[in-house]
Order: sequence, then structure tokens, then C-alpha cells
Amino acid sequence: MRTSLNEIKLIDGYIFNCNPPEDALLFDALLILNPELPDQIIWQKRAHAMVQQYSSKKLRAEIEAVHQQLFNQPAHQSFKQMILNIFR
Amino acid sequence: MAQLNDFGSTPIEREKAFIALYKKAFPSVAKYISKMGGDFDDAKDIFQDALVIYYEKSVSASVVLQTNEQAYLLGIVKHLWVKKFRENIKQCPLDDSNLDFANEDEAQPSTNKLMHYLASAGQKCMEILKAFYYDNLPVNKITELFGYSGVRSATVQKYKCMEKVRETIKERSLAYEDFVE
Repeated sequence: MRTSLNEIKLIDGYIFNCNPPEDALLFDALLILNPELPDQIIWQKRAHAMVQQYSSKKLRAEIEAVHQQLFNQPAHQSFKQMILNIFR
Repeated sequence: MAQLNDFGSTPIEREKAFIALYKKAFPSVAKYISKMGGDFDDAKDIFQDALVIYYEKSVSASVVLQTNEQAYLLGIVKHLWVKKFRENIKQCPLDDSNLDFANEDEAQPSTNKLMHYLASAGQKCMEILKAFYYDNLPVNKITELFGYSGVRSATVQKYKCMEKVRETIKERSLAYEDFVE
């Protein structure tokens, strides 16, 4: 794996606190040697936040599709009726 | 001790799991929300939020169920309902002097633009990263789902995608900042 990808792996390990001890030591040394690394950590955290936002939005859309199926398809009519009766 | 729900790894498997959860847990949620004065849409919104929370906790194995999943979901729903109720109480009546929140939304358009860009131009990468980081699928499953030749190339792809997304966010965020200023 090329150096920049190894760096991404180490930053992930740092963010999720799962670097093995030897990688954690290496990362501490890199933090001293590479002044751009703290910024890269911030951008990688933002990337994770975007992945989280993208993913939960996609999951929410899958759940909404299930809801539409249960409340619009004749196969689930009795379930729909049971729920609607609760709000009468 | 009850087992965590197995949501599977594909949209079809998740669909089955969510249908089963809807049928098992939504009736008791609807009864609770109705009893508390909410309507069908309240029950739907809060139940869907609870399902997202339950999914995220299940796949990250950050929860060990001491009870069954219906009771667990109802517990999340009750918590969300109380939270919503408290937030509604906190909202003060608006008058003209209170309408000074235009600045709060300024950061929003750039995040939305960025998300739109990543979801279209970088969709494949976002899907791979979702599988790794959000769905927490095992790497051999991801290798199979995305058709990689082996576990190693799937892992390399994960880091290439993270690099691509990170660099895109960096470039675009700086460009949007310039635009806003």
C-alpha cells in the first residue's frame, strides 16, 4: 500500500483509538515530523462525518420505502388497518 | 439475554429485517404515541428515528440487549418522545425582535452542496465507505458484494476512497469558503 494510504490507515486508527502500540508510537513520531498531519486528521474526521450523514440518510430512505410498502400494498392491509384503528 | 437483530448485508436483507421489526414493534409504539396525544405521523417519524438508532447500535455492537427488541425499540421511542416534548416546551413565542437567526444557516448550503456532490460524483466510494464504516460489514463480505478480487484490494480501495473523499471535502470546503467570503 502506498505511503499516503498507510497514513490514512494510521489516522483512522488514531481517530478510532485502535492503532496497535507500535503504530501508535509511529503515529506520535509522524505528528512531530509532519506539520500537516493535524490538518489531515481534521479533514479525515470531516470525511467520516460526511460518510455517517450519507449513510444514515440512505438507511432512512430504505426504512421509508418499507413504510410505504406496509401502508400501500394490499398484502399488508390488515396490518395497516390495525395501526390506523389505534389513531381513530 | 436476547440476541441482536441480524440486519444482513444487502438492501433486500435489510428490507426483510425492517418489515419484521415494523410488524413486531410498531403496534406498541403506535399505541404509546396515541396515548400520549400524538398522531400517526408522530408515531411514524419517531419509530423511524428509533429504527435508525437501533440499527446503528446493533451493527456497531455497542449495545447488549437485556430485553427483547420490541421493548428496546419502545424504550428508545419513549426517550425520543420525551425529548421532543421538552424541545417543544423550550420554544419561545416569536416576535419580530427574535428573528435574528439568519447567520445560523450560513454553513448549511456548503454542507448540502458537498453532500450532493459526494452522493453523485463519488457515489461508488461513498457506498464502499458506508459498507465499511457505517454498516460495519466484514471485509470478506464487502469483497464479495463489490466484486473485488480479494480482501486486500477491497481494503486498499477503502483507503483510496477515504483519501478521495477527504481531498474532495478539503478542496470544496475551501472553495465554498472563498465563495461565501
